[in-house]
Amino acid sequence: MMDSAQAAVESALKAGADYADARVNRLSREQFTLKNGALEGADAPEDFGVGVRVLVDGSWGFAAAPSGAREVHEVAPGLVRRACKAARDVARARTTPVQQVGETGHVAEYVTPVAQDPFSVPLSDKLDLLRAADDAMRGVDETVIREASLSLRREEQWQASSDGAALHQVLVRTGGGIACTVADNGTVERRSYPASMGGNFKSGGWEVVEAMDLPAHGERVRDEAAALCHADLCPAGERTLILGGSQLMLQIHESVGHPNELDRVHGHEVDLAGRSFATTEKLGSFQYGSPLVNLVADSTLPGGLDTRGFDDECVESGRWHVVQDGVFTGYHTSREWAGHIDEERSRGTARAEGWYNPPIIRITNLSLQPGSWSFDDLLADTEDGAIYADTVRTWSIDQRRLNFQFTCEIAWELVGGELGRLLRRPTYQGTTPSFWRSCDALCDERHFELWGVPNCGKGNPIQVAEMSHGAAPARFRRVTFLT
Amino acid sequence: MALLDQDHALDLLRGIVDGSPAAQTEATLECVEDRFVRFADVGPTQDADRERHLLTVRVRLASSGSQRGAFAGWREARASCGSLDPEASGAALERALVLAEVSDPNPDLVPMGGPVQVSETALQRPTLDHTFREKAEWIGAALSACQGRELAPAGLAQTTAMTRTLVNSMGRAVHGARTRAAFSLTASSLDGEGGSGFAESIHANVERVDPPDVIRRAVEKAVASRVPIPVDPGEYTVVLEPAAVSAFLLFAAYHGFGAREVHEQSSFLCGRVGERLFPEALAIHDHATNELYPGFLFDGEGSPKTKVPLLVDGALQGPVTDERWARRLGVENTGHGRQQPSPDGPTCLNLVVQPGTESLEQLLGGVDRGLLVSQLHYTNMIEPRDLTLTGMTRNGTFLIENGRVGAAVQNLRFTQSLVDALRNVTGVGNRLSVAGALFDGEVVCPALRIEAFRFTSTTDF
Repeated sequence: MMDSAQAAVESALKAGADYADARVNRLSREQFTLKNGALEGADAPEDFGVGVRVLVDGSWGFAAAPSGAREVHEVAPGLVRRACKAARDVARARTTPVQQVGETGHVAEYVTPVAQDPFSVPLSDKLDLLRAADDAMRGVDETVIREASLSLRREEQWQASSDGAALHQVLVRTGGGIACTVADNGTVERRSYPASMGGNFKSGGWEVVEAMDLPAHGERVRDEAAALCHADLCPAGERTLILGGSQLMLQIHESVGHPNELDRVHGHEVDLAGRSFATTEKLGSFQYGSPLVNLVADSTLPGGLDTRGFDDECVESGRWHVVQDGVFTGYHTSREWAGHIDEERSRGTARAEGWYNPPIIRITNLSLQPGSWSFDDLLADTEDGAIYADTVRTWSIDQRRLNFQFTCEIAWELVGGELGRLLRRPTYQGTTPSFWRSCDALCDERHFELWGVPNCGKGNPIQVAEMSHGAAPARFRRVTFLT
Repeated sequence: MALLDQDHALDLLRGIVDGSPAAQTEATLECVEDRFVRFADVGPTQDADRERHLLTVRVRLASSGSQRGAFAGWREARASCGSLDPEASGAALERALVLAEVSDPNPDLVPMGGPVQVSETALQRPTLDHTFREKAEWIGAALSACQGRELAPAGLAQTTAMTRTLVNSMGRAVHGARTRAAFSLTASSLDGEGGSGFAESIHANVERVDPPDVIRRAVEKAVASRVPIPVDPGEYTVVLEPAAVSAFLLFAAYHGFGAREVHEQSSFLCGRVGERLFPEALAIHDHATNELYPGFLFDGEGSPKTKVPLLVDGALQGPVTDERWARRLGVENTGHGRQQPSPDGPTCLNLVVQPGTESLEQLLGGVDRGLLVSQLHYTNMIEPRDLTLTGMTRNGTFLIENGRVGAAVQNLRFTQSLVDALRNVTGVGNRLSVAGALFDGEVVCPALRIEAFRFTSTTDF
């Protein structure tokens, strides 16, 4: 497979390309969804194909096609011709040529550390786990949906570049979750575990699923959904907010991760996803958050959904501060964009969805570093009437990533330093820098958890990528709530 | 050439179905050829000439219950591959069989559907043949127009051809083809701080895409919104242009019109079907056979699609169904099935809002003080029962004063029930457009005038 990728690169250079890379990608998945006790999703997709990218006459060209494992060398030459032709045909409309920062031609292999290969676990064990989780959610007549799901992914990629890179990577990602929806008292409420949008996902093997112990949380999830149907709406007004990790991860994703993509900052994503308020003159000086706020991007982080050896431009993974002591300090970049902020190397965050898409800058694992508080002490330190909220219900943010409005699945009002009245549909709204500057307490590493985002959309046509965000509960002051 | 003609595709799938040992088997093949060029201030930034196949095999195994010989339901699973290679499709069939073997019998499943008649559809040759050079010419024109007005362009030129074929062991065999051509432009101030304008043109036939009109509209909006003024949040009469209507209405398609959501009591249809709650001028159908922008004429189970009323004569209709939900509810299958098995229920993919009688000027003329909204951004659902949505305005929001478009205003966030908004429609535009949104999907719709649309916060841009 590597020979075919390298042959494609050689062929592109002979055809006049100034740079070329080729990726042969195979994605194997297993997906199961048990809904109200019935297996309503049982799918085992396999996808295999080749993508060739060239730089000709200062323009990119990309071509991609499916392939069987044996036919890659037959498919690749045609793709080289098509990619070069596309680049030449559009180059006439390009005003300045693409320029890339340099990169070492790495020759390496990366394989996700896995304790137990999830694909080797008997199918009956997987379904038994889902049945046990479903059973645990039974028992409330008003329940309308019980859902338990598993998702296993194994992505193998052979990539070569004209810089001499020859990389083989095997990325294994595993996850799942449960959710219970109850319709009662004129409303419909849902609770999820460990997180909404299908649960939690990490790089790793079956041990990721076992650690979540889905059946052990079924009863609680069911009872919280039922209780929410009779809970008061979270009241409007300005209050202190403590966010749990499974909500904070989306706050990080939407209000720090996306505005930190350098292509977006320069207006190259404005046609669909939007722009960014985090413009380059702010780098190194802008007070993004309070001095407690440290946000670290890390594509080497164990368990991260975007933990890998190299990105799809053959750049080695790394770790850097995006926000340090509250100050904006770094971007996600690619080889095309790093030079725009005078950096000599890419941060290695250009990724493509499978073989079918060219790479674009994507958020990697991005985590809010923990602080020093225990959760109980944080509650005890917080005034009556403050809100503790967790788990994503819905989200929206403007095209510059400033004005956001998020709704959580569940909230409690604090009374006497403890969780008091249960509240439904907590909806809070704010502006990104003001919100992060109002952070005055972070829980410690005992409460830190890595949350996977398996479905991040970006690009036009849109591509889906995955990454993780780590967080421990954190407190924010003077937050606006809506009903 | 990734696209298979009808005979070739049907033969391929019949071979898979005939070779399956399962009690029932369905094979589906989707073929795509896609060419796009994305652009920004420097011209083309990304392009792709790509093709793909998705071959899916669904199998059902009969299952006996505890009573000897009693049928307990089908055990069902599917698997797919991206290759037409017999070895790959054989492996997909094998994986589906292995999964089905360990599945529990599902007593809710009904037999796969038998033979049906589906009208033939054809690829639009000009769209199929549209070249990168032609796309580069569109982009060059957009760059020139923006440069002349000190604006930064960004957008997409794309042509796509798709075929879909389905064969099952009950004798169903259907094939369809469709094409899509699109050109969009967002024109922004050079520093990104001022206003911006957006326009798009989407058609099945690339010859009907109108780049000069797209460029003119986007540039005019951007120029007119260079210095937006602040307005207070609150309730406004709005005129939503098609791109805004689409982002709003698509949530009804994503979530609400389907039988499963009604059964799960999480649909805005619950308790409202048949009630005359809405203005009679507003009519919405799911209409895959519409002439302006036809979709595939069969659903994920191969059932034919027709024109299905969703909101007519002032009342919600429905819900839409698939094979299973039609049987369960004792109603007709409306042809809205997803590819099975799926944990999600039937869904609408071809919303069409019937045009009204008012020009844009007439829609505006009915507003003393309100807002003209060009586009909505990052719309999402807060509450499913009344379909409360939130999202932002984008790319051109303007005051309407005494029936005329006035100053550009800074963007606002809305938090608004879709049900209430549809009840408050007081004007329906007479010109249909195909409009997309940030998330997936497109709607054929006119502009709408809506009273008491609730904006809950503002921005300073």
